[in-house]
Amino acid sequence: MSHTAPIVHPTALTLHPAEPLLQVAGLAVSYGRIRAVDGIDLTVEPGRIVSLVGSNGAGKTTTLMAMSGLLPLAAGRIRFAGEDITTLAPELRVARGIAHVPERRRVFAGMSVRENLVLGAYSRGDAVDIASDLERMVALFPRLGERVAQLAGTLSGGEQQMLAIARGLMSRPSLLIMDEPTMGLAPQMIDLILDTVLEIRKQGMTVLLVEQNAVEAMRLSDHVYIMRLGRIVHEDSGANIDPERVKSFYLGADS
Amino acid sequence: MDYLGQLLANGLVLGAIYALAAVAFTLVYGVVRLVNFAFGELFMLGAFLTASLMLPEVRLLGTIVPMPGFSLPVAAAGAIALTAALGVLVDRIAYRPLRNAPRLAPLITSIAVSVVLQSLAQTVWGAEELRFPEFHLATLPPVVLFDSIYLSVMDLVVMATALAAMLGLSAFIARSSLGRAMRASAEDQMAATLVGIPVNRVVAAAFAIGSGFAALAGLLYAQTYGFAHSSMGFLPGLKALTAAVLGGIGSIPGAALGGLILGLVEALGSGYLPNGTAWKDAISFVLLVGLLYLRPQGLLGKPELNAAGRGSLLGGASEFGAAWLRAAFAKVDGGLTRAAAAGPRAALALLALAILVGLVVPSDYWLRILTMVVIYGMLASGLNVIVGFAGLLDLGFVAFWAVGSYLTSILFVLVLKDQFGVAPADIWWLLYLNLPLAGLLAAGFAVLLGTPTLRLRGDYLAIMTLGFGEIVRVVAINWMDLTNGPMGIRGIPAPNLFGIALGSPRAQFFFALALAVLVVFAIARLVRSYVGRAWVAIREDEEAAEAMGVPTARYKLYAYAASGFVGGFVGVFYAHSQQYISPLNFSLFENILLLMLVVLGGLGTFVGPFIGALIWIVFLQLALDLPFVQAYPETRFALLGVVLIVLMVFRPQGLAASARVALTMPGARPANAKEAA
Repeated sequence: MSHTAPIVHPTALTLHPAEPLLQVAGLAVSYGRIRAVDGIDLTVEPGRIVSLVGSNGAGKTTTLMAMSGLLPLAAGRIRFAGEDITTLAPELRVARGIAHVPERRRVFAGMSVRENLVLGAYSRGDAVDIASDLERMVALFPRLGERVAQLAGTLSGGEQQMLAIARGLMSRPSLLIMDEPTMGLAPQMIDLILDTVLEIRKQGMTVLLVEQNAVEAMRLSDHVYIMRLGRIVHEDSGANIDPERVKSFYLGADS
Repeated sequence: MDYLGQLLANGLVLGAIYALAAVAFTLVYGVVRLVNFAFGELFMLGAFLTASLMLPEVRLLGTIVPMPGFSLPVAAAGAIALTAALGVLVDRIAYRPLRNAPRLAPLITSIAVSVVLQSLAQTVWGAEELRFPEFHLATLPPVVLFDSIYLSVMDLVVMATALAAMLGLSAFIARSSLGRAMRASAEDQMAATLVGIPVNRVVAAAFAIGSGFAALAGLLYAQTYGFAHSSMGFLPGLKALTAAVLGGIGSIPGAALGGLILGLVEALGSGYLPNGTAWKDAISFVLLVGLLYLRPQGLLGKPELNAAGRGSLLGGASEFGAAWLRAAFAKVDGGLTRAAAAGPRAALALLALAILVGLVVPSDYWLRILTMVVIYGMLASGLNVIVGFAGLLDLGFVAFWAVGSYLTSILFVLVLKDQFGVAPADIWWLLYLNLPLAGLLAAGFAVLLGTPTLRLRGDYLAIMTLGFGEIVRVVAINWMDLTNGPMGIRGIPAPNLFGIALGSPRAQFFFALALAVLVVFAIARLVRSYVGRAWVAIREDEEAAEAMGVPTARYKLYAYAASGFVGGFVGVFYAHSQQYISPLNFSLFENILLLMLVVLGGLGTFVGPFIGALIWIVFLQLALDLPFVQAYPETRFALLGVVLIVLMVFRPQGLAASARVALTMPGARPANAKEAA
């Protein structure tokens, strides 16, 4: 991890410091007649770790999928790096600097670790730097380095999560969206993954994190949003947030 | 040895062509899990376009058009490029809107595209064969191997081209960035999108490459056999699909292997079996059915691909299309739902209307047409049992219909009249005996055919049943002693009751109507019973049904049996009503037509099949008054195809989605049928 070269997208550095990297206003998503996410506002400042917590079915994953363009919006706007990306095609959002590491990792199981990483750089089109980025990923996750030729489907859950994160970083994003990166992992592996999140933030990355484990998320984050039934019901800085309050949201007590 | 060597050489040429076309099926199936039946027609277009570009002039739409007269390589390149572009266009119009639609929808549009392309080709190039121009290499003396095996130079060119194309494609998929993106999209479309792959464009590329391969296969085929014809793509298309499934669909080496095996087996079979040339088509399909039974994933395929056929065939909806259009469809659906909710009263009203129509329609011509509507409605009802209620796509239903028609025709004409000299009028009662007898025979046949399919789902099931249907048709054509072969059976007596001939169109219409009442009543009783509930459960979610303790295998067989019974039963009347049958009456096209009628009218409803039949058959007649259709009668089929594509794209769940018989507790209403209140 001694590499000094940034793994961050250049747009993040040229951005006006006063403007937030990601700004979501009134975002709503419907599945048929059911409104899963109903008008949420959310801001992510550059260089921060922001997390979105809430119980099952609160609409966290839906929100993330709408941000990366996988789901159409019923209402609302999304601004990213000073540009309105509300209707931008999902693959173009990757090119603009949003990398989304999806829930349950979704690595390409039938392809090698190396191919997965190379695919991560698909949107870049600059073949030259890919080799050096591969090295950087191996430095970040030495376990992947031992397995570059192995099929991704044969990796352990934790290794697949590392691969999914590394694949996301290969696009040189300025915002890394991570959906439940610690789901189903052993405690040691959870620590390793969360340490990695801190490490890449140190290198200048902005992170939007969805976590079931609210305590860990609060410890890690600069800012925390709490979601319940498709709305944001509470937000505060990670240090200020009251764990008892969070518990009441999770248990479904009135806010 | 010489004979064997020559057969092997012929088999390799044919195998190379099958392999190329199989690549088309495998590539597109691998990326989007769609069996694109239209590749058979793109194969045919490849041949026509190449031939047209090579000739100095061609007759198009009846007028002579000057053409460039290119040499084969240039013409082939042009034809491949044009077909590839057409493949992309077809994907854009007929498949892309249906990526998240119920699984039946893209299958139907692919069949519809097939029908449209074939009838358009027939319109443009005419119904006759177009002789494929000779390429100068073809005039070179053949290469002689081991003193006795003759291979023309063009045969060698065909094999070398196929080999080069497949090696090139394999390298492209393995090494290139687009190839990697294709594999990624095949594995997980969402993850592919998230790494920035424009999945729609990658799929379009797969269609372009696949269509190009189909065109290449088609032009090589036409070159080898010396002609192009609008229906030439049908059988090779099925064979190529067979080859792809044999090798393991989704695998390119598998397609190559499957193609070679099929080519060799056909060549050896037609060389060594008695009357082998006639039976070679059956050999391929027997091979397919046997392999699907023993190893559904194919020789080189991965087992999880059969799982891709999981999920409800009919569930889900698309959000595609203008709001007013969707609202209009929903209104139709609501109306049908209300009608369905009215139950017996609506059915009686409909019957009364049908009787009234039968009494007042003065012309024999229209009575005959209405009789056909009732017959096709009944047949479609039989298919509806298995597709609409149990959710199993059956492309071999015509076999049951054929069993009924042949049973009664063979007994009446070939045995009793020809062998024993019994006059049909003396044994008029045999018809009434044959109705249930043929039903039972066809039901037994259906169970026999259904048993090996129990492990298969979705597309694989469709392919296997298609194989069965084709086997039955080939048997009907070639088992001369039993069926009189392609000449068919003539002089089947018209229905007769206690010596009163029911030959008049009006009598036949009422006869058909009476049978239809029986059929619909029986199906309705069955569907409203615990059997029907089990079917609907299997249709909605087979895994859940199994987990809840529904013995799915048994109920699937019941569905086959019920569907087969209706097919055989109606088949008997069909034969007596037409008084002539031949294997042509029981082609895959008829099966597809029945499927389209069911989809048109409403899958899983009781009246839907009749509505579909009414719309289609009346349309067929009325369209004859249009001047354009009078000049080109084939365009009617193209119109049907277009109607189906439009219907599927804007309303993939079918017209009567909420009128469909659903799983409901007494007193409860399905969530999506609020209008029915």
